[in-house]
Amino acid sequence: MATYIIRRTLQSIPILFGVALVSFAIIQLAPGSPIDRFRTPNVRPETLENLIRLYGLDQPVHIQFVNWITAFVQFWNVEAWGYSLVDGRSVRDTLVDRMPATLLLGGTALLVTIIFAVPIGILAAVRQYSWADKAITTFATIGYAIPSFLLGLYIAYLGTVVFRGLFPGFGMVSLPGTEGRGTPLDVAWHMVLPVTSLAIQQIAGWSRYVRAKMLEVLNQDYVRTAKAKGLSAAKVTYKHALRNALIPVITLFGLTLPGLLSGAVITETIFSWPGLGLLGVTAVTQRDYPVVLAFVMVGGFGVVMGNLLADILYGVVDPRIKY
Amino acid sequence: MTARHVGPLLEIKGIKTHFFTQDGVVKAVDDVTFEIGHGQTLGVVGESGCGKSITSLSVMRLIERPGKIVAGEIRLNGENLLDKTDADMRDIRGDQVSMIFQEPMTSLNPVFTCGDQIAEAVQQHTAVSRREAMDRAVEMLRVVGIPDPKRRAAEHPHQLSGGMRQRVMIAMALSTDPDLLIADEPTTALDVTIQAQILEVMRDLREKNRMAIMLITHDLGVVAEMADEVVVMYAGKVVERADVRTVFGSPHHPYTQGLLLSIPRLDERRERLEVIKGTVPSPLNLPEGCLFKRRCPHRMRVCDTAPPYQEVGSGHFSRCWLTPAGEAPDVGADAEGEEAQHAAEQLTVGAR
Repeated sequence: MATYIIRRTLQSIPILFGVALVSFAIIQLAPGSPIDRFRTPNVRPETLENLIRLYGLDQPVHIQFVNWITAFVQFWNVEAWGYSLVDGRSVRDTLVDRMPATLLLGGTALLVTIIFAVPIGILAAVRQYSWADKAITTFATIGYAIPSFLLGLYIAYLGTVVFRGLFPGFGMVSLPGTEGRGTPLDVAWHMVLPVTSLAIQQIAGWSRYVRAKMLEVLNQDYVRTAKAKGLSAAKVTYKHALRNALIPVITLFGLTLPGLLSGAVITETIFSWPGLGLLGVTAVTQRDYPVVLAFVMVGGFGVVMGNLLADILYGVVDPRIKY
Repeated sequence: MTARHVGPLLEIKGIKTHFFTQDGVVKAVDDVTFEIGHGQTLGVVGESGCGKSITSLSVMRLIERPGKIVAGEIRLNGENLLDKTDADMRDIRGDQVSMIFQEPMTSLNPVFTCGDQIAEAVQQHTAVSRREAMDRAVEMLRVVGIPDPKRRAAEHPHQLSGGMRQRVMIAMALSTDPDLLIADEPTTALDVTIQAQILEVMRDLREKNRMAIMLITHDLGVVAEMADEVVVMYAGKVVERADVRTVFGSPHHPYTQGLLLSIPRLDERRERLEVIKGTVPSPLNLPEGCLFKRRCPHRMRVCDTAPPYQEVGSGHFSRCWLTPAGEAPDVGADAEGEEAQHAAEQLTVGAR
């Protein structure tokens, strides 16, 4: 197992290099230049040329890439990821600052998803074609089909307008000067709408998946064996069937993790949640190249880590898989 | 068991298990009657789809929707299993009646160890500690001839071969000392040498535990080796029933005769093996009268009326119009309608 983890970690290095190459290329190919925002009639051409030299933009592309990547891997340095073109802060510090908010939101949403989706999926499978199953299927189809920007707006509308501000529609803490600002309760209160919005979409997908896997497993011979032993329906379902049905759900878990790390871009934007997703969107609109690149790289890192974690978990929960 | 029930261990009386599908009602088991005595082995024979597995699942009351047992009685030690509550039935399943299945490769749960799965059955039916149940599991693995049972008990099913897994299934089924073991094609998925070993294990344990076996198979060789009595099923009905010697020595029903002729024999030179012509009728489109008539070499006009289930010898029953001697019946081979129906009833009443 240890050798497997080490091998897989080493294998992820070339993948991350590929991610870096593609991200860098996309930024290069995108129209515009980091110094465009200095181009006003009042700025002299010599100043612009100095800026180009200062940022290294006069170098050939491959040299720029090598310069960037060698700096980027030194994540222990404050200046490794450069400085924001907008506010001049260290990009690494900005990302680190934003991470807790994103992890809190994504982690809570994932927890809520699992708590709801697994029982809902089981119910739909055990009572296949019942009204409960049909209702769940309808919900899941709608939840899956509705785009997240629309769902987010609906939920924001519901929480703030329909329920007359029962839940706050933006931010992570109350406005300055409000009593109890920044307490855990205050943060939790602010999390209700964005978590709901994220969880509804994920529950829709997860519950369908759990249902499908559960149905598949309930038809297996070993479930019949369990019944023939005289076990109760609950033991058959929750011990013998569920244990097997949840193994493939790990794949979903692995796919969800990167989103947890890089943030739910749309939902964070709608609810002004001060996480990485919002940071990424803002950086893109402001052409804040160092931040965009770092944001994309963190996302790519999340995908690679999510897959690695999923593969390791398979080995833990499925006795048939040995590394 | 407190008061020992006199009479057969298992009595199945006229059970009908029907499946209500979108295309119509499939009468998978239609009026099946037989019994199994204490310590006896009954072979249930027939082609795939003849209802033999559904009969066994009916005894376990493991029929799932859209299937339903719509009529009949299943008495175990005199008590009708169809009157039992689900909870009572669970206490019987795996305790008084155990079952092993055709597919040893998929019948064990892949995520639990073999020992766990046996111990679970033990703990379900007896008040023992986890450790005692595990000891019992190891003991049972030894009984069914698994070498190094302690190590095997800690292994997962995928680490065992098919034959070993079937032994684990048998160990699980027998861990609670059942009165009746239902074995649904226990050797079909195994290769021939392993088949012989598994049958050996079953025969051994039957003697030791005085356990009755309901052996479901399409392999007449297995029946000849194991069974005391034989029930031959065709399209959901019992077509012939007799002790094993009679079935192999002087089968009455043309279907049974056909089955026997289709086995290769070492003591006869034959260029070609006999086959039963035609195929099993679709369960949604069964013929009027005798279900076998379309494939039968003795077909008569009277076969358009449901044949009698008559006693053609001592303890030998056959669902056919042919006389006990195997000739065309006196009622007139071309009798029709009410006349034939009346004759069928008379012959059947005589049999019961």
